[in-house]
Amino acid sequence: MISVMAVVLCLLTLCTRPILAQDTAAAPTDAIAPPSKLIAKDHDNDAGTAIDLEWTLSPDDQPQRKPRVVVGYQVFRSLADGMERVSLESLTPGTVKFTDRSCKYGAAYLYEVVAVGSGNRDSEPARLAQPVRAVRQWFDASRVWFGVIVLIVCGCVIGFTEIVKAGRGTHVRAIAGLKAIEEAAGRATEMGRPCLFVPGLRDMNEISTVAGINVLSHVARIAAEYDATIEVPTCRSLVMTAARETVQAAYIAAGRPEAFNDDRISYITDEQFAYVAWMTGYMVREKPAACFYMGTFFAESLILAETGNSIGAIQIAGTSQAAQLPFFVAACDYTLIGEELFAASAYLSGEPQQLGSLKGQDAGKALAAALLIAGCLLATETSLLPKTTQFAQALDYLTNSILR
Amino acid sequence: MKRETIIWTVLFVAGGLFLVVRGTQSDHGLGRQYVKQVRVNPQSATDLRVKFKEAPPTDRQAQLSIPRTVGLWVAAFFTLAILSFLYRDNIFYKIAESVMVGVSAAWYMVTAGFWEAIIPKLLANLAPETIGSWALPDLLKPKPPDPKLLSLVPLVLGIMLLCRLLPRGGWIGRWPLAFIVGVFAGIRMIGFLEADFVSQIRSSIIPLVVMTDAGRVNLWASLRNTGLVFGVLACLAYFFFSVEHRGLVGRLARVGVWYLMITFGASFAFTVMGRIALLAGRITFLFDDWLWLIDPAGKRWGP
Amino acid sequence: MLKSTFPWLIVAVTGCVMIAAFFVPPLAEWKNEAGAWFEILAAMAFVVGGANLFAQHLKKISARRAGWGYSAVTLFSFVVTLVVGLFKVGVIGEDPNYPWAGHYQAEGSALWWLYQFAYQPLIGTMFALLAFYVASAAFRAFRAKNTEATMLLTAAFIVLLGRTYAGTWLTSAVPDDYSALTFPGMTAIILGVFNTAGQRAIMIGIALGVAATSLKVLLGVDRSYLGSDGD
Repeated sequence: MISVMAVVLCLLTLCTRPILAQDTAAAPTDAIAPPSKLIAKDHDNDAGTAIDLEWTLSPDDQPQRKPRVVVGYQVFRSLADGMERVSLESLTPGTVKFTDRSCKYGAAYLYEVVAVGSGNRDSEPARLAQPVRAVRQWFDASRVWFGVIVLIVCGCVIGFTEIVKAGRGTHVRAIAGLKAIEEAAGRATEMGRPCLFVPGLRDMNEISTVAGINVLSHVARIAAEYDATIEVPTCRSLVMTAARETVQAAYIAAGRPEAFNDDRISYITDEQFAYVAWMTGYMVREKPAACFYMGTFFAESLILAETGNSIGAIQIAGTSQAAQLPFFVAACDYTLIGEELFAASAYLSGEPQQLGSLKGQDAGKALAAALLIAGCLLATETSLLPKTTQFAQALDYLTNSILR
Repeated sequence: MKRETIIWTVLFVAGGLFLVVRGTQSDHGLGRQYVKQVRVNPQSATDLRVKFKEAPPTDRQAQLSIPRTVGLWVAAFFTLAILSFLYRDNIFYKIAESVMVGVSAAWYMVTAGFWEAIIPKLLANLAPETIGSWALPDLLKPKPPDPKLLSLVPLVLGIMLLCRLLPRGGWIGRWPLAFIVGVFAGIRMIGFLEADFVSQIRSSIIPLVVMTDAGRVNLWASLRNTGLVFGVLACLAYFFFSVEHRGLVGRLARVGVWYLMITFGASFAFTVMGRIALLAGRITFLFDDWLWLIDPAGKRWGP
Repeated sequence: MLKSTFPWLIVAVTGCVMIAAFFVPPLAEWKNEAGAWFEILAAMAFVVGGANLFAQHLKKISARRAGWGYSAVTLFSFVVTLVVGLFKVGVIGEDPNYPWAGHYQAEGSALWWLYQFAYQPLIGTMFALLAFYVASAAFRAFRAKNTEATMLLTAAFIVLLGRTYAGTWLTSAVPDDYSALTFPGMTAIILGVFNTAGQRAIMIGIALGVAATSLKVLLGVDRSYLGSDGD
């Protein structure tokens, strides 16, 4: 029944189009030649929701003809039975490809592409002979090499962790900023002033915040051991929740659970500058002896670092925001640059499994350097010997397949 | 201390006198806001409700708005109060800071929390018809969608989070926290490796020797490229944790530090230029909107 | 078990599913769903934060601790904003049949007034203070203590000049063949070579740091954010 209807509909369409064309076109010579050879196939590596279309341009679509005869293409889609016909996209002249990303998985579709002329004149449509269906892939084959890189990086971290756990290669170089944390907490105790720990502006959905909270765990433990007060203002409720858990656990680990006061870890406000206003006020009034800034910071980094500097606090900062690093470098005593923030927790813990992860990160950098050197040598050979295609092919494979 | 008090008193009195003189003696006065009445639905024959819109003083229908004029002076007070912190901490800054914290915390709760998330993303999914007929009539067009029961999961997780407020059992709040950290640890790990690790290596793959079209070596472009690639490698050497910065690695790392410092210098310079523009915005508010000393847009006195 | 181990299991399972979502197309949609859930959770977490803020300031006021008056100001502004925002005080909806459908911050509403005359000027001025702080930071950098600080300052100085007319004018006498020695030329080298190299290395390092930290979180090596097993 449906196929009969489809045939009837097709016939009707075929019969009515020329009549309509006659109605709208001024003369038969004005008819626009349609695009041709429309083919459709499943879009690769997706969840079965996209179809790729390709066609040959209308012979009237020639950029040199002024004014242009064809001003664009219009893509239409209907279900296999001809129902639910919709206009999908208006494309510019010269377009021969289109991907329909709005398909329903399992549905069979028919497509039409019409060349659109000036004055709303349309060509006959190029039609698909058979309905097409989007197919679901269960693995994104285009990401195989990326998957390999992920496996290598993760494998290095896990592998080196195991090696270090076995007692081999435990050495890591010193980072001055991390060594200074204990000194800072000690100074705060001597001066009878608090330590201020700022875990940044982002929420727990950022790994830099998680890294900051991990550092807080060690700073809080040192503070607990020294009997120094630690103040943690936060600008996200979830960060406050995590920071309270962390500091409490640190006080328990230091054997001083009774000294933990959760009022010291408070939510201020989500607004960046109101949070900063509170902190600058706190700094000039309470004069913390040590300020730690660990996490994601934006413009406020400058205000914090300058205010901390003006009250003479020892300042140790670490952020993954490259744009804020200059201000921390200029005004803080120690700055953990980028990756060092993520390494800090492992350093401070001193645990073999954590130190192993640092070596895994180093292996990742070695991989980056090796890929970079290999790629640059290939690019250089390609530049020096443009006629030797092997280098160009190898370079192309490296940049467009392995590092896609 | 006493001398300081005298200086401040003189400054305040002078400032106050200036405002009074400016307000009473000048042609245009200062610090007022005007509004005019407009229909909420001008096309409707039945809906005769009106609302107030800001209008320039030159508009014939403009009338003085007391709440907005008060607001303007409050805003000016807050602006000066915050600027006063540059001198030192004081009572005005403390008041401004307290208001800022209270208003902004509640503003985020109301907007980002309640009206932008809880209502449209949670309750509208669970009870589309009820929420649609109450606050989101667009949901009812053309017909309300079916309830999305999957949204019960974040609701339950959210309720667990609220257990933090209970005297006991707050530990259950760790579960939603674990959910968030776990989900984003997975997403960020892959996201960063793809967008930062792989793509930065790919962008840095460039020929160390660049040839011109005539087949000669382009010395300048070659030096630039070599300097760039060497810089990336030197900075990577600086970040190595398991090798001491001694010998060759030490020298390479030192060059890496120089590269990083020059990078920071460039960022510093960009920021300096951007920040000056911010201050100009607040100065304009004080002199234009509040004191009516200038009128660059010609909104009060005309061009 | 329920306090620490079970949350870690949640971390491990959800994290692995999200990693898989990058490679398994039918799971890709889950990433967006998880993002939407996070927004809801963060919104519900406002209640925890707001309750903390309320309790902290109330405690300070009732104990008459130093500065309790400012706490009262905070609490007052917090409650007023919350009430006028939640009840859409002064909001006139477009459709009279749906009085609650108007935008929460429509012109003329109480929340609009608070935003316009309190929130916005306060935040804007705090942001504007950066102009003064940047000047003091520049002054600090002027007293360059070592080679690194001198390099930072020199690069900043060159880029500042190179992007203004003054820089072009100062080195206008330099012949075109030596344009790399002009301020704009040097700025181009600093940005194109040194800055690009530095930024790329920082980004590669951060990506590895994020990957290692995420992996440690998923493997449960570092669980400090989940607290201890004790309540």
